[in-house]
Amino acid sequence: MSNYIIETKDLWMQFGSKVALKNLNLCIEAGGIHSIVGSNGAGKSTLFKLLLGVNTPSHGETYILGQNSQKLRPQDRGYIGFVNEEHTLPEWMQVTTLITMEKSFYPKWNDSIYKQVIGNFNVENNQKINQLSRGERAGVNLASALAKRPKVLILDEPTLGLDVVAKQAFLESLLFTEKNEDCTIIYCSHQMDEIERVTDQLIIMEQGELVSASTPESFCEKIHYWVVDYLDKVPESHLIPGFLQQRNIEGEIHYMVIDQDSSLKELFIKLGAQSAFHSEVSLHQAVNGFLSRNHHKPNAEEKTETSHV
Amino acid sequence: MIQIVTGDARPIFKQIVDGIRMQVITGKLPVGSKLPSVRGLSMQLTVNTNTVAKAYTELLSHGLVESRKGLGLFVIKPKQILNEQEREDRLETAVDTLINETIGLDFNNDEIMHMVQSKLVQLYDKKTK
Repeated sequence: MSNYIIETKDLWMQFGSKVALKNLNLCIEAGGIHSIVGSNGAGKSTLFKLLLGVNTPSHGETYILGQNSQKLRPQDRGYIGFVNEEHTLPEWMQVTTLITMEKSFYPKWNDSIYKQVIGNFNVENNQKINQLSRGERAGVNLASALAKRPKVLILDEPTLGLDVVAKQAFLESLLFTEKNEDCTIIYCSHQMDEIERVTDQLIIMEQGELVSASTPESFCEKIHYWVVDYLDKVPESHLIPGFLQQRNIEGEIHYMVIDQDSSLKELFIKLGAQSAFHSEVSLHQAVNGFLSRNHHKPNAEEKTETSHV
Repeated sequence: MIQIVTGDARPIFKQIVDGIRMQVITGKLPVGSKLPSVRGLSMQLTVNTNTVAKAYTELLSHGLVESRKGLGLFVIKPKQILNEQEREDRLETAVDTLINETIGLDFNNDEIMHMVQSKLVQLYDKKTK
């Protein structure tokens, strides 16, 4: 049993020789919007499949709504919503037929919520699913998920491939539709601008492990950007405490460091800098900088932009 | 209208606090006017309502707005809630930032002071209009 809305205990998941999740201990409290970010292959989708009981863990346990995922009963499933990027729906059905079918399976279905959300998207009831655009399908999925009044709603890259208008409609619906008092949303996305707008808690996963869980602001505050002008030789990166990454831009070294304060300036001077200035970073930069810290950075001239979020 | 941008070094709630402060200072939100509801502003900006709530809490703690039961938040004349030392510290921090930002740009002291003076004059002009 678990007191959290979502919990994993010593969770391991292995596919053959590939370890997808490593000793994951995650606790998510009820309420609010929790975002999970990480590079591709971080294990996010694997985690969701385990939480929903689609797969069985190699080791450890997952709990959702206080129930072990492997022992979810139909009544538990009635409180769990899931929307992913594929927006899989029966292609041949008319929208109206699909909704009638959904309604019959979910006695708690709230039709005014369905209508409120679907109204943000340009969907006609008599259209067949295969006639809908990607954005319209996302709308049907979200409207249907919210109408079921879930206690937990998991969204796995739901806005992937959506145009600007559909994305906006999706975010507005997600943020401003009346939800259950205790509806918890788990939002998984690579789009940092969306994460920044919606999230209460930022969870970062990397290669199957949990590496950070905090508010987005506290995460950003830990990471600083330094621009350092060295008189002569550029020191080895291992001499810089909290080193995440560095780039050589027009002769100056741009660093990202973690958990350091402004006194780092003195160290840079000691290492031969004639000037060193630091500034704060955006959420996008912070996450990007943090996630690319173990990657080899090529030399100044061959430097290419890498983006991992 | 307050604008917020994602990808800025300032978190969204700080941008909202700064935006409202600016509106109060420039008279766009005069003393006595009502702030939009938390939900209303969230919908306007398309951000989590908790983010707006956080901004409003900060405005309350700075004494820039007050809560009137059942009605909402209203702009008030700022109360003196900081003691002398805290005010001094805030001023010093702000000046440090200014110097930090401009020192690499080769201005002389007079040029920097001139810019500060003219900005203050502009601000008071707007206030009295």
